[in-house]
Amino acid sequence: MFSRLFIKCTQCNTTHFYSFFKHAHFVCSRCGQHFRIDAVTWMKKLCDRNSFQSINDELCSLDPLQFPKYLRKIEESMKATNMNEAILTGTGTIEGIPIALGVMEPGFIMASMGSVVGEKITRLLELAAAEKLPVVMVISSGGARMQEGILSLMQMAKTSAAVRRLHQKRMPMFTVLCDPTTGGVTASFAMLGDIIIAETGALIGFAGPRVIQQTIGQKLPDGFQRAEFLLEHGMVDIVVPRKHLRELLVKLLKIHNKRPFPNRSRGEFR
Amino acid sequence: MRQKILIANRGEIAVRIIRAARELGLESIAVFSEADRDALFVRYADQSVCIGPAPLAESYLFYQNILAAAKSTGANAIHPGYGFLSENALFAEACRALNITFLGPHPLAIRKMGDKATAKKLMREAGVPTVPGSEGILAAFTDARSVAEEIGYPVIIKASAGGGGRGMRIVQEKKELENAFNAAVNEAQKAFGDPSVYLEKFIEDPKHIEIQVLGDKAGHIVHLYERDCSVQRRHQKLLEEAPSAVLDDETRATMGEIAVKAAKSVRYDSVGTIEFIYDLKSKQYYFIEMNTRIQVEHPVTEMITQIDLIKHQIEVGFGATLSLKQRDISRNGCSIECRINAEDPMTDFLPQAGTLKQYIVPGGPGVRIDSGVYPGYAIPPYYDSMIAKLIVWGETRKDAITRMKRALREFVIEGVKTTIPFHMDILQHKDFLSGQYTTNFIKKMGDTKGNY
Repeated sequence: MFSRLFIKCTQCNTTHFYSFFKHAHFVCSRCGQHFRIDAVTWMKKLCDRNSFQSINDELCSLDPLQFPKYLRKIEESMKATNMNEAILTGTGTIEGIPIALGVMEPGFIMASMGSVVGEKITRLLELAAAEKLPVVMVISSGGARMQEGILSLMQMAKTSAAVRRLHQKRMPMFTVLCDPTTGGVTASFAMLGDIIIAETGALIGFAGPRVIQQTIGQKLPDGFQRAEFLLEHGMVDIVVPRKHLRELLVKLLKIHNKRPFPNRSRGEFR
Repeated sequence: MRQKILIANRGEIAVRIIRAARELGLESIAVFSEADRDALFVRYADQSVCIGPAPLAESYLFYQNILAAAKSTGANAIHPGYGFLSENALFAEACRALNITFLGPHPLAIRKMGDKATAKKLMREAGVPTVPGSEGILAAFTDARSVAEEIGYPVIIKASAGGGGRGMRIVQEKKELENAFNAAVNEAQKAFGDPSVYLEKFIEDPKHIEIQVLGDKAGHIVHLYERDCSVQRRHQKLLEEAPSAVLDDETRATMGEIAVKAAKSVRYDSVGTIEFIYDLKSKQYYFIEMNTRIQVEHPVTEMITQIDLIKHQIEVGFGATLSLKQRDISRNGCSIECRINAEDPMTDFLPQAGTLKQYIVPGGPGVRIDSGVYPGYAIPPYYDSMIAKLIVWGETRKDAITRMKRALREFVIEGVKTTIPFHMDILQHKDFLSGQYTTNFIKKMGDTKGNY
């Protein structure tokens, strides 16, 4: 109980009452630092009350490469997050608008994408395509899961192909990139959103800044790989503070709902 | 052990609370920002703690430092005053978690009354009259027509996503309704991307009348009659009086009973105010909101009832049973309060900052000053511009007005421009003298005389 009374901002050291901090959407009211939040909290923040129904919850990772300590790590993560894998997928409504929602869980091996995460995303996108649901993906991830090697990397192609099938059904995907969105996740479905939204201050990149700095042997500019920097350089469409995110999604979903895209073949656009 | 109260506020209300605490034999602790180092309330308090730099977000709203100050000084209670953290349910809960008594209502009451839609729903269920209108969003024009028929014209159509006057349509009679409805829907769609609208009775020229209530933790609640706060400029109250000149005794009594009923519905346990709009033509009144704190204009109620609201607030806050019964509360005479602000009425009420070169307060019978300044004090530019509240009491309304004019004439403030001349104009205006003024009074006054 007492440990939950206060929380300290890791950036500016301000102490917050947990209740105030929660009310401020887990954002430091002093310095604006956005803290990571778990998948269920995200889902509750976005979806209308009791509207969310999860799917494919039962999928669990195996250990195909017999990678040392991998199974133990999974077990620990399952206990810590009360989830079977690093993503929560399902359907729900936002202000009454039906959507397919995927939220990644950073507490689960840094929401890295292994076979199960890739499969759950693919199934969600396929469901959305079949039922004509717009997709909202809340992403934060360390990238592909190295413990599953090439099988993880394959998920990049698999999810990307699923996004294309969704697009062929003329349904949009809104991706919300939270801190951090990196590696194989950035390099696949995260950057394939029709509208790419980034949270204020989120780190978004493929390789991390330290690796890049060491590789190219140059000092990186200020704010490198931060959401605002990426907006300036055309990598994301919108940067939004967390408190306005739901409102923005509602607006985007409404625009989409009111004016269905004409069902034309790709050729006509050329 | 002597109880210690920390005052999480500044200016005149901090002084007011320190005075009440001292008369109750309690110790007072002031918290202040760097800009308020020289303020009167810091000098008056038994102990004072600096809680941060001048900007509000870093001092008076930075609850962390306020709570830390309370803990380090050993305060038993925090009085939030008005504004700042006074209607913040999270703050009230945080105090409770730290074993500090929050001298205000319980957090749930703050939360329920803080949300307008919830409050309105609660009040309707409790049988308190609210502005009649559609229940929620209108699906089609036919619904709008039937609701309008039921409540009577004029009505106003509002966008539910709206604000700032956009998407609003006032409809005077039946034949205009259809066009107005379609226009409002279109405008709402264009302006907010959401066509939903609702409909309410339009009260053209209302009075703002509020009832003071006071409750304790045991569930006793009394009311202390009304205040008329219709003299407003852009929703800022400038002058308040009690009692209102337009209420008859019967209406006054029913409004009081209704206010008590409203407060009871959230088990209210502190000082609070139930605000109504009052339609002069139909003599109907409707709940608009409840303020779950002490208010700036509380002294006019104190003057006519001879009851010290802040003392009672502190006592019930500490858990005491209310010593007052409704039948013990009587009123006598009339009281008026003028808010003397450091604003220039001639230049659109531009706030003035500067040093008070001269500051001579009026006195004599029936005059009270609640203020947080002194001669030579420099008004900091960071906060509100109120210099003083001048409150008078008179046996009749006429006496009170005459006395207020006399007191305003005695009041000398040099160094900054003030609203004193503006108050003089109000007190001489025929609409004010008749008591038949509404919340549009200042606007109308501006149309005929300069630009307010």
